[in-house]
Amino acid sequence: MDVKIVKEIVDMRTIDEAAKEILEKAISEGVETAWDRLEAQQPQCGFGQLGVCCNRCAMGPCRIAPFEDEGPKRGVCGATADTIVARNLLDDLLVGAAAHSDHGREIVEVLLKTAEGKSQGYEILDVEKLKHLAGEYGIATDGRSKEEIARDLALAMLEEFGTIKNRIQFAETRPPEKTRETWKKVGIVPRSVDREIVEAAHRVHMGVDADYVNILLHALRTSLSDGWGGSMMATEISDVLFGTPKPVEAYVNLGVLKKDMVNIILHGHNPVLSMMIVKAASDPSLVEYARSKGAAGINLAGMCCTGNEILMRQGVPIAGNMLNQELAIATGAVEAMIIDYQCIFPSITFTAGCYHTKIISTSEKAKVPGAVHMEFHPETALDTAREIIKLAIDNFPNRNPDRVKIPSKPIKMMAGFSYEVIKQALGGSFKPLIEAIASGKIKGAVGIVGCNNPKVKQDYGHVTLAKELIKRNILVVETGCAAIASGKAGLLLPEAADLAGEDLASVVRSLGIPPVLHMGSCVDCSRILVLLADIAKEMGVAISDLPVAGAAPEWYSQKAISIGAYFVASGVFTVLGLPPKILGSPNVTKLLTEGVEGVVGGKFAVEPDPVKAADIIEAHIEKKRKALGI
Amino acid sequence: MKTVFVRPERCIGCRHCEIACAVEHSRSKDLFGAFFEDPRPAPRIHVEPGVDFLTFPNKCRHCEPAPCMEVCPTGALYRDEETGSVLVNYDKCIACAMCAMVCPFDIISFRKVWHIKFLKTVNYKCDHCVDRQRDGKEPACVEACKTGALVFGEVNDIIRSSRRDFTLRTTMALQGEEAPELPESIVTFREIMKKVAHLGPLG
Repeated sequence: MDVKIVKEIVDMRTIDEAAKEILEKAISEGVETAWDRLEAQQPQCGFGQLGVCCNRCAMGPCRIAPFEDEGPKRGVCGATADTIVARNLLDDLLVGAAAHSDHGREIVEVLLKTAEGKSQGYEILDVEKLKHLAGEYGIATDGRSKEEIARDLALAMLEEFGTIKNRIQFAETRPPEKTRETWKKVGIVPRSVDREIVEAAHRVHMGVDADYVNILLHALRTSLSDGWGGSMMATEISDVLFGTPKPVEAYVNLGVLKKDMVNIILHGHNPVLSMMIVKAASDPSLVEYARSKGAAGINLAGMCCTGNEILMRQGVPIAGNMLNQELAIATGAVEAMIIDYQCIFPSITFTAGCYHTKIISTSEKAKVPGAVHMEFHPETALDTAREIIKLAIDNFPNRNPDRVKIPSKPIKMMAGFSYEVIKQALGGSFKPLIEAIASGKIKGAVGIVGCNNPKVKQDYGHVTLAKELIKRNILVVETGCAAIASGKAGLLLPEAADLAGEDLASVVRSLGIPPVLHMGSCVDCSRILVLLADIAKEMGVAISDLPVAGAAPEWYSQKAISIGAYFVASGVFTVLGLPPKILGSPNVTKLLTEGVEGVVGGKFAVEPDPVKAADIIEAHIEKKRKALGI
Repeated sequence: MKTVFVRPERCIGCRHCEIACAVEHSRSKDLFGAFFEDPRPAPRIHVEPGVDFLTFPNKCRHCEPAPCMEVCPTGALYRDEETGSVLVNYDKCIACAMCAMVCPFDIISFRKVWHIKFLKTVNYKCDHCVDRQRDGKEPACVEACKTGALVFGEVNDIIRSSRRDFTLRTTMALQGEEAPELPESIVTFREIMKKVAHLGPLG
């Protein structure tokens, strides 16, 4: 293909300069990427996009014609567009909530095994946090060993996945009283993690819930069991096991790969695996083994949220976000990509087949045809981690140096802004932040979260929105792929204060922090919830009274639907960059973008243009400020 | 003459017509059977993406006079007098592509078909489902279309109906009444997707 045309295509697909270099290489080498597959999928079915396709039972599949005078208006069972759209949305949401919560459960199980002395390589690192959490759960700490406390805490949390306890501790004590009152009034206080998910799956069966309002209320309750349940446990117990994140400096983009070293990419979501790889990689005997194979050492790099987990805690460099996964392989410099689960393209082994890269799957629940499966168990974690690294080292001599291209400019970034760090940076209380908001120095705060989606130019939505907001003196906190996007764009540095409005710049400069704060992985959106809750408590208001908003400019995943819903259910106005599959029901659309605000205080909006999204977010923040009288 | 009339504003890109067409022109005429046939049946209607995620179902218009018939050197293209459709005699087709060059809609392409023993590539364009028409049925694509983007009937009847709609909307507008051409859901969806198209790689 003509070089000029390739450059044009690449410019349309991403704003990540390092990714552009490798995307050009991928195109010239005929390596297929998600962008090609999106193009091949055009046109995509309108029934599906509008959410009016129901493929649930064997009387179907059915679809509702969106035009008034033509075509079927009910499925074979009699479901209307409202029922089908609401059911589909609940189905997507329950999958997202299950993904987060099942990840959370695995971490709590590792804590239990560690407490019982049955795991290998793990330790209880943040004892202070462990004791604090035990306090929240009413577990005695005085005179008890950390193992005893951890065991009780793990069991108490695992109980909340079941149905006996009928409540989730964090959802009881952490939200502000006014927010909880709202949930009680509406009847959406989550009862357990698994229960809400299972009940959601029950409700979407034919002949169960047909009332779209009732279905959506349960969707909100299910999302709360994720945000204030499964996800929050994942965050908190990861902190207990691996340490609560503190500010770290690291590098980001595909340029973090090293020409002369064994490059290992850690891709997926769960730190239970990646943290053990990090631990094993520092083993001198393995480093020596790498040298014996002609490499200068072992270079680990993260990808997606497991990348965020090890970045936040260990400062491990991060190679990129979701749309960078195939490009990392296309550098020709990756010996192994170790995957756990979520957001891993099933075609990744096909991509790897074009190079020497080995894909190593590690979770019993996430196998990919063509991958080497080396199953990971807490009992043998460190041994498996060593074996995996050894396999990557053995693959180093197979690298073809003529096909290697590594972008030259990794970008420096600062991450590790956990709730605890933010509070500490403010001097141990949120009062200074509230004062800064009251005085207008910080107009408000926005959480930008979520994925990449090839329908949006990679990182353009995230980066443009973040820049627009900080320019308007609005503080930005981020997680997931959004945070990685900002890292690549240089926004996660104190120097980025130059791009912020004068007032915000002066505040973040005085604290020595960036105007865009990296708060972690996608389950760490729960850190944002706790932050919002404690600010609201300090002010004696509901979360919905705060001058804040959420945004997911490039979302694609069911997990993002659950996150968006728990933000809305907690009272946060949330702007999506791509429409959820609900537009085929004007009633559902109206409820989620208007009516729901009167019920829980938050609502959704859809705005693909990030500059316009900043406009509506700013208007919302102004409205909330006015209502607070500031 | 009866024709398949396209109302592009109603096409939402579901490609149901493509599947129905491929199945109709398979040996088994069955979705699951068609999947295992060799050659694998292919649609003769094409829902192509245009700008802003809009789509257009494109197929043979069965022109009269038909440029493809005029230029065919072997006389493979002929008109079915009963339905007015332009058909292909696969035995006579030599895949020279003269027909494709003059087709005003660029809908002629070539592949192997099961209908002839000799597995050569031929012009496999739309045959207007003449077999179905003889049985009093609509073409398969029209039957599959649930949005009314494809309608089958006497061309003047269809146009008369559209004209009546237009008159209704115009007079309603004169009376200050809201008379949307498309449902609100579709309007909102297309507005959003237009923005997505302009900001993303598919614009």
